[in-house]
Amino acid sequence: MPVVQFAPFASLVQPGFWHELTRMKIDVLRLSDEALTVSGSYSVGRSIRDRETGQDIALGCNLIVGEDAYQKASQLPPMSVAATGVFKNYNTIEDFKAADKAALCNDVASKIWDSIISTKNTSLLTQFLLITFADLKKYQYVYWFAFPAFVSKPAWEISESGWKPAQDEIKGLESIYDSLHKSIQSFFLVKEVGDIVVVGSVEQYDAFFAGVAPENRIIGFLDPSALPENPGWPLRNLLTYLRVVYPSQTSSIRVLCWRDSEKPIAGNPWKSRFGVVTIREGDPTAKPSAIGWERLPTTNKLSARVADLAPMMDPRRLADQAV
Amino acid sequence: MHAIQQQYWAVRDYLSPVLKESKFKEHGRITPEEFVAAGDFLSYKFPVWTWEKGDASRARDYLPADRQYLVTRGVPCLRRATSLAYTDADEDAERLLSFGDPSSGAADEWVETHAGRNATVDSAANPGEIDDIPDLDGDGLAGAMANVSMTSETGATVGETPDLDDIPDMEEDGLEEDEDEATMAPSAPKSGVPTSSGVIDASQVGVANGNLLQVRTYDVMITYDKYYQTPRIWLIGYDENRSPLTPSQIFQDVSADHALKTVTIEGFPHSALQAASVHPCKHASVMKKVIERMNAGVVQEQLAARKNSGKPQDKDKDGKKKWAFGRKGGKDDNLKGAGEDEEVEGMRVDFYLVVFLKFIASIVPTIEVDSTTAF
Repeated sequence: MPVVQFAPFASLVQPGFWHELTRMKIDVLRLSDEALTVSGSYSVGRSIRDRETGQDIALGCNLIVGEDAYQKASQLPPMSVAATGVFKNYNTIEDFKAADKAALCNDVASKIWDSIISTKNTSLLTQFLLITFADLKKYQYVYWFAFPAFVSKPAWEISESGWKPAQDEIKGLESIYDSLHKSIQSFFLVKEVGDIVVVGSVEQYDAFFAGVAPENRIIGFLDPSALPENPGWPLRNLLTYLRVVYPSQTSSIRVLCWRDSEKPIAGNPWKSRFGVVTIREGDPTAKPSAIGWERLPTTNKLSARVADLAPMMDPRRLADQAV
Repeated sequence: MHAIQQQYWAVRDYLSPVLKESKFKEHGRITPEEFVAAGDFLSYKFPVWTWEKGDASRARDYLPADRQYLVTRGVPCLRRATSLAYTDADEDAERLLSFGDPSSGAADEWVETHAGRNATVDSAANPGEIDDIPDLDGDGLAGAMANVSMTSETGATVGETPDLDDIPDMEEDGLEEDEDEATMAPSAPKSGVPTSSGVIDASQVGVANGNLLQVRTYDVMITYDKYYQTPRIWLIGYDENRSPLTPSQIFQDVSADHALKTVTIEGFPHSALQAASVHPCKHASVMKKVIERMNAGVVQEQLAARKNSGKPQDKDKDGKKKWAFGRKGGKDDNLKGAGEDEEVEGMRVDFYLVVFLKFIASIVPTIEVDSTTAF
């Protein structure tokens, strides 16, 4: 059976984040390069239909950080959830280059692992790491994101029937939508009781699924991917979590990839996907290795990238542009 | 309880003259209160639009603190407007869009230009400066650098090429050397071939269609411009690799009639950002014309509805179209006492921003800013 391939997160940094970093660097942080906690967000995977070719085009699996990343509580767009991150700004490009990237990523992965083992809290499963060097004079920002995820050995496999539209498999998508619309969750449980579907939180796994047959249990997550065959990155750590905490019940998991930001207009299908993933026997209690540094979209190599904000921030350039 | 209600009515009386004074149908301008009402309607009907507080120190006191401006993020833009060079042969590409409740038979019609037009061959062969933003990936840096210069339409270099030379090769060796089989390879699988369900990855679009289609996204903001008394639109763009767009790149998404004339880069009023903005000096007159046309249709329809029904208010309440043009109409009429208002109301100001977005869509034809085509 084919291995499940997860669509990695792609970072999107709003210019407001760099403006705010510039301000903070000058007024607040100064020479400190202590790690800060920042927040980002991701929303359900979106796709758009090209009116000329009729094809659906998936719009990246984005994790967005914006101007309000440094604040504790930020306002989220509809059908979006927050992800916390560790943010470290280096004072020189040499420091940035010399940083032990593997250790930094492993630190965050260890924090995620500890939260799985000790608190069993799912809110810390999706975390990111962001390291930057800001050249304030040139309005250039070197940055690199990591989205630590555990590598499952053996790998998760998707059943023969593959990923298919959720509406073929689950009757009550509408009531799932209603309850997600009321209170959005990154990860959730669904059980089918007769014709009714009920949504619950992953932390109450035992109580929620008590007396529910395995074929009526569904694990759901808010899926930032819009690609039909690839679930989004957050599922990786969720599967690790379930495997560690409930090893006896999770060798086969029915997964709902939630991708609907609004109810479909009459006649259109739901976008959410459904699949059954399985895993061969392994030792779930051993801490798996983690990966997650973002690759350059142009070359697919592991590398930092540069945001050049000079055209939008440099007063001289702006004055030249104004006519 | 009654006292509270009276208080409520008193406040409403106090506020309502402001709304009545407004003559948005006569000159196309709206008051801040109407902007908020129209924004409430837009964000209620289309949840992709949300109100933002913005920077508290820059808040405008004539707008509620939590409703300073409207924003929608990640608006896709599949093609460059510059590739939609408008020629006489395209005149027929205009299309009448039905705009309203089709079942009533009196739907408003709307002309959509650029309908179904293909990108011109010429622009596909000469993609101009829509090359990738340079990365720090060693080779090709110098070549890619040549493309970030700010070139105006005439090809003259406006800004200096930024100097990235002192930022060295940043590629990491020895980090995560093992290929992870559970990570989706961005370009390897099904490159260019649409999958069974027909969804393709945005980064693969160019390959798939062979016409250099690059999916950009935009964050779009609507503010209230106090001086011109109209809404004003702001754009911040990202390329297909999610790097911010430069001004000259943004102008590629503005129709040629407006780029560098009505669209300029200015300071966004609610934060320190610089953003592309459509200058609002002509908004009021354009909106007036559009509203006049639409209003005629709406008035006709409402008159017809009254003739057909002895109890117009009930009809209004139950009618399918109520939400579009008379969402508040039904309620207000009931409060005033049914049946005493013989005047035909016409288009509600709530609808202003929906119309405004359709107007903006003609300036930025390839940015799918008008999410309201559903009706």
